[in-house]
Amino acid sequence: MTAPTDEASLSIPRGELLRSRVVATVGETLAEVLDRELTGYATLVPQETLLSAGDARGVLTFEAGVPVLAYNTATDRGGSVALASIAVPGPYRVELYAVPRSELEAAHAVTALRVPPDAPATELADDPALAARTRDVAPADRGPDRNGGDDGNAVAAFLADDDRIEAIREQAREEARARAAEWGLNEALSKPDGAAERGDTADLDDAADTAEPDGF
Amino acid sequence: MVEAFAVASGKGGTGKTTSTLALGMALAVEYDVTVVDADTGMANLLFHTGLDDATVTLHDLLIEGTATDVTEATYERFGLSVVPCGTSLAGFEAADPARLRDVVAELATDTDVLLLDSPAALGSKSAVLPIVLADRVVIVVEPTIPALSDGLKVQEYARSYGTETAGVLLNRIREATEPVATQAGRHFGGPVLASVPDSDVVRAARRAGVPLLAHAPDSEPADRYREAAARLEVRDGDGEQVAARFKSAVVPDTP
Repeated sequence: MTAPTDEASLSIPRGELLRSRVVATVGETLAEVLDRELTGYATLVPQETLLSAGDARGVLTFEAGVPVLAYNTATDRGGSVALASIAVPGPYRVELYAVPRSELEAAHAVTALRVPPDAPATELADDPALAARTRDVAPADRGPDRNGGDDGNAVAAFLADDDRIEAIREQAREEARARAAEWGLNEALSKPDGAAERGDTADLDDAADTAEPDGF
Repeated sequence: MVEAFAVASGKGGTGKTTSTLALGMALAVEYDVTVVDADTGMANLLFHTGLDDATVTLHDLLIEGTATDVTEATYERFGLSVVPCGTSLAGFEAADPARLRDVVAELATDTDVLLLDSPAALGSKSAVLPIVLADRVVIVVEPTIPALSDGLKVQEYARSYGTETAGVLLNRIREATEPVATQAGRHFGGPVLASVPDSDVVRAARRAGVPLLAHAPDSEPADRYREAAARLEVRDGDGEQVAARFKSAVVPDTP
């Protein structure tokens, strides 16, 4: 794996590797970092195969346990856009590094790469309690108005990414049809397109009895 | 007339039950509304309506042999007909999800609007059943990436079963996020019904076991829910026909 120090746009020292493992949710990592008041960074590689996340490789930096910057080294984008790009359902491969605070000062001065302190817990970990805990310990100067040079809104960035949205929808459609077959609900599907591909059509015999307009 | 809406979210904690009851009470000004706790695995409609001690619930109707009459599990509360679900694990294990179809069919013959408070999951047949049975789905999401992703997933599951999106409710808004509401509207099949602010009033209503529109009718969240209900254009449907459709819905007997 390429160390984030190779990236021109985000220059941070490699630091001391504390942990490398696959986690089900980034929440575990964020909670550990917060509890240890760690200063350093984590690299996050989503293991999910969703099309647009395939090349995502995130870096989150921390100061005294509180998230500061987000960066996607695959796209060279930072801030909330980067956070949005790596916010996919787990698992993730996570490497955690400790870096002396003085060596992160230059990187942390780049406000355009910053994210709100609670945004990783909300958008990556889906953990409102952890987000609240992070807000509580974040320094006052990291309040909602002082977080970044972008619009600070990872949700808007996510919703603006039409390719990503379409990938989620396509995956959901495939999953819905596969599970309908598994649950014996094939006949309730609105249209047969795609359903027949999986070979689970044994219970389609009675489909003619259903009321077509509403899919029943 | 009758139209059945599944109120769904795909993930927990988005305020789905609060939203179901608030929409129900707002719609009840004009319509005869029945609210059903179709989240048979994690029922909590009863706690929101002060029905903690209800003796007969949907669970009893879903368990073969113990079924009584639908009317016995229907309670008139806050201007709504409420069909709560029990919370006992034993009840859940014994409940036959396919019987939900028959219960919904029976309720459809005698109401204008059916709201199915749906499970916050898509991982089992009983969890998807409400969106399979409903005419349309109301998707409740918080403005976070995980919640919106799950909301989009619910929409696609519903569409797969021919159930279109009636609208999306943005709930627990912590700060003004107009770009989010606009963008969300592009991706969901129906309009953004409302952006409901995160509020202590909502939590207080839940603690009191009273629906928001009864507990704090003049609050901003209550106003937003009324606005949402007004945007939800209820369609005409013949009760008997809808009931017949539910009865013929293809649902296997047991998982």
